Amino acid sequence: MAAPQAPTKPAKPGETSMPVIWAKQLGRLIGAPIGSVIFAFIIGAIIVLITGGDPIQAYQGLFCGGIGLFCTGDLYSSITPALEISSTIVFATPLIFTGLAVALPFRAGLFNIGAQGQLTMGAIAAAAVGIHYASWPGFILLPAVLIVGTLAGAAWGGIVGVLKAFTGAHEVVTTIMLNYIAAFFLYYLLRGGPMQLAGQPEISANVGAGAQLPHFLNGNGQLFGQPIGVYQAHTGILIAFAVAVLFYILLKRTALGYEIRAVGQNQRAARYAGISVKRTLIITMLIAGAFAGLAGGVEIAGLSHQLTIRYATDSTGFDAIAVALLGANAAIGIILAAFLFAALRVAGPVMQGNANVSQNLVDIIQAVILFSIAANFLRTFKIRLPALRQTPPGEDAPMVATTVTELEDTEPSEPAEVGDTA
Amino acid sequence: MKRSRLQFVVIGALLLLLVPALAACGSGGNSSSGPKVKVGLVTDTGGLNDKGFNHLAYVGLQNAMHDFSNVVGSVKESKSDADYIPNLQGFASQGYNLVIAVGFLMAQAVATVAKQYPNVHFAIIDSTPSDANGNSLTLPNVEPLLFHEQEAGALVGVIAGMLEKGGTTKLKKNTISAVGGVSIPPVDKYIAGYKWAAQMEDPGVNVLVGYSQDFSDPTKCKAVANSQIGLGSDIVFQVAGGCGLGALQAADTAGVYSIGVDTDQKADAQNVIASAVKRVEVATYLAIKDVVNGHFQGANEPAFTLQNGGVGFAPGNITLSSDITAEVTKVENAIKAGTLTPPTQRSW
Repeated sequence: MAAPQAPTKPAKPGETSMPVIWAKQLGRLIGAPIGSVIFAFIIGAIIVLITGGDPIQAYQGLFCGGIGLFCTGDLYSSITPALEISSTIVFATPLIFTGLAVALPFRAGLFNIGAQGQLTMGAIAAAAVGIHYASWPGFILLPAVLIVGTLAGAAWGGIVGVLKAFTGAHEVVTTIMLNYIAAFFLYYLLRGGPMQLAGQPEISANVGAGAQLPHFLNGNGQLFGQPIGVYQAHTGILIAFAVAVLFYILLKRTALGYEIRAVGQNQRAARYAGISVKRTLIITMLIAGAFAGLAGGVEIAGLSHQLTIRYATDSTGFDAIAVALLGANAAIGIILAAFLFAALRVAGPVMQGNANVSQNLVDIIQAVILFSIAANFLRTFKIRLPALRQTPPGEDAPMVATTVTELEDTEPSEPAEVGDTA
Repeated sequence: MKRSRLQFVVIGALLLLLVPALAACGSGGNSSSGPKVKVGLVTDTGGLNDKGFNHLAYVGLQNAMHDFSNVVGSVKESKSDADYIPNLQGFASQGYNLVIAVGFLMAQAVATVAKQYPNVHFAIIDSTPSDANGNSLTLPNVEPLLFHEQEAGALVGVIAGMLEKGGTTKLKKNTISAVGGVSIPPVDKYIAGYKWAAQMEDPGVNVLVGYSQDFSDPTKCKAVANSQIGLGSDIVFQVAGGCGLGALQAADTAGVYSIGVDTDQKADAQNVIASAVKRVEVATYLAIKDVVNGHFQGANEPAFTLQNGGVGFAPGNITLSSDITAEVTKVENAIKAGTLTPPTQRSW
């Protein structure tokens, strides 16, 4: 394994010019996510081949159905690219919110699996307000719907933070349990319960017209050969971008953000430095819950305009974990990852409908992305392949990194210990 | 470097294995006579392998593709109800001639998309399209495929009532039961007919009805069925699709009888005495045939009944006595003739 060393010795940090450092940091930051996506697509292609499909047709379908590219040939020329792009924006919106709701606790060393339940509660509260006060004018009702959704999500997340801070109850357990409570509460409401539309299980009445976020495209005419009403992309995506900016500012430019990162890296050191760990954990979960709750509110206001069981059965809150990991817990990364996952979600049915390749391929690709990020394959490749290696590994370099948190320097070195907070 | 070389060998071997697979693809594309009729099928969240009405609708599509060479069929599965509208729009926006929505729960989505695409034909199984307030709509381009489930429910109800009256069942508490998925008309109509007919044969019989609130998870229906069996139910009628397979298993475990739904389910459990059958595949096939022949009925499509063979019952694994089969035939003929009319509303 004695690979020839580069002729010049590695420069000391002080001697390297800043652009080179930045480039290296960038490479380290995006290398693993991009590598894992490419790896997942290769695995997906092999599976399509084995099961007797044509991977080129399948991937053409994913590109066409997701982002409107390569919609050509017998199979895909009937697809309207603008409609697919619109649908991708629709599905990306909640993934950005919930991705941020998973990423923020990650920075504090908490694993928030509860974005799903927080979204559910946000949607329930938002729909309840939007239906009950349907006659209110939009300039009051729309903010009320979004704020109530946000608060409901924050409360649901806050429970987790309080339990963690005062009893040490592990957030993975409490968030999963709260997901179930939220889901069954929704089932109760919509299957014979008080919010069910008469004779129509699993859906509620519509929220008032004032509670609806405007679509980007409005009118009764035709656009790109389709009625304008089919373009469902709504202005909720702008709120998602704004929350992503807020997330960035919070983490990088505020004292609270510093405290969150400090708690995430080492709770004992943070406490020694005078940071209240309990307070930080609770606030982190409140904010995370607020992000996910707002996702529910925006979905009610922008897309469904009614409560449906999708707010418990859809996998948005769980896909968000993959989005946060793929996005390296950074705002811009989460936005990009959310669009990737949304594009795959939208493209799956296109691929199945037009090329007859099962849309379960999309699930496989998403799972392999998550799996390879979790297992940190790139690091493995670096260790195995001398050409990629910059520094010699230790004698017993691990084949597979043990935690996902090694992705980034600012990541917590280990999960927060329950005993530390008690 | 030994290990690396081994890896290359393994990868090379894998690639060699894949070459035949590569060569196998790229075939297909048979020519057909007449203008193409593109048919899109959108499943509900149960998916294609639900052993229930999504599967049957797909069978109907395949039969139509077999019989009419110019029919081109495609399927989109819905992962959650968020996919209903995009999936329906996905087919309609590509100029499909007929888009079939499988299931009552898509009533609003079908109405929304059918109004956006007035020139595309739609069909929806088990429902009429409905507006935002849940009122049913009459749209010229939507064909509702409705079934008289209560008539199929009544036939299996006759069997259940006769068995209870005969006193040959296991628990002898004069109790039978039904496990529904969610309380929606297609489910409740089955149960209404079942309860009505059982009490017609055996006025003293106690009929328990429970809902699992689910159509796909067998464990939930198993739990409901077990509690009913604990209360003395000798015969469990499952009306919950894939979830209800759990109710059939529970009956097998407890040694009591069960009744299947939608399709002949005698292969799914030993103690199935009959299945109430709804021929979704026939309805789907006929809807496609209507479009192929240019006879699309829209809202005038007649319901599928015992009379026209759209619903019925299939025998199970237990041989029924001749007086029971004679009674079933008698009730069947009376319903066909219109002298007996099973109820359609909940009474529990």
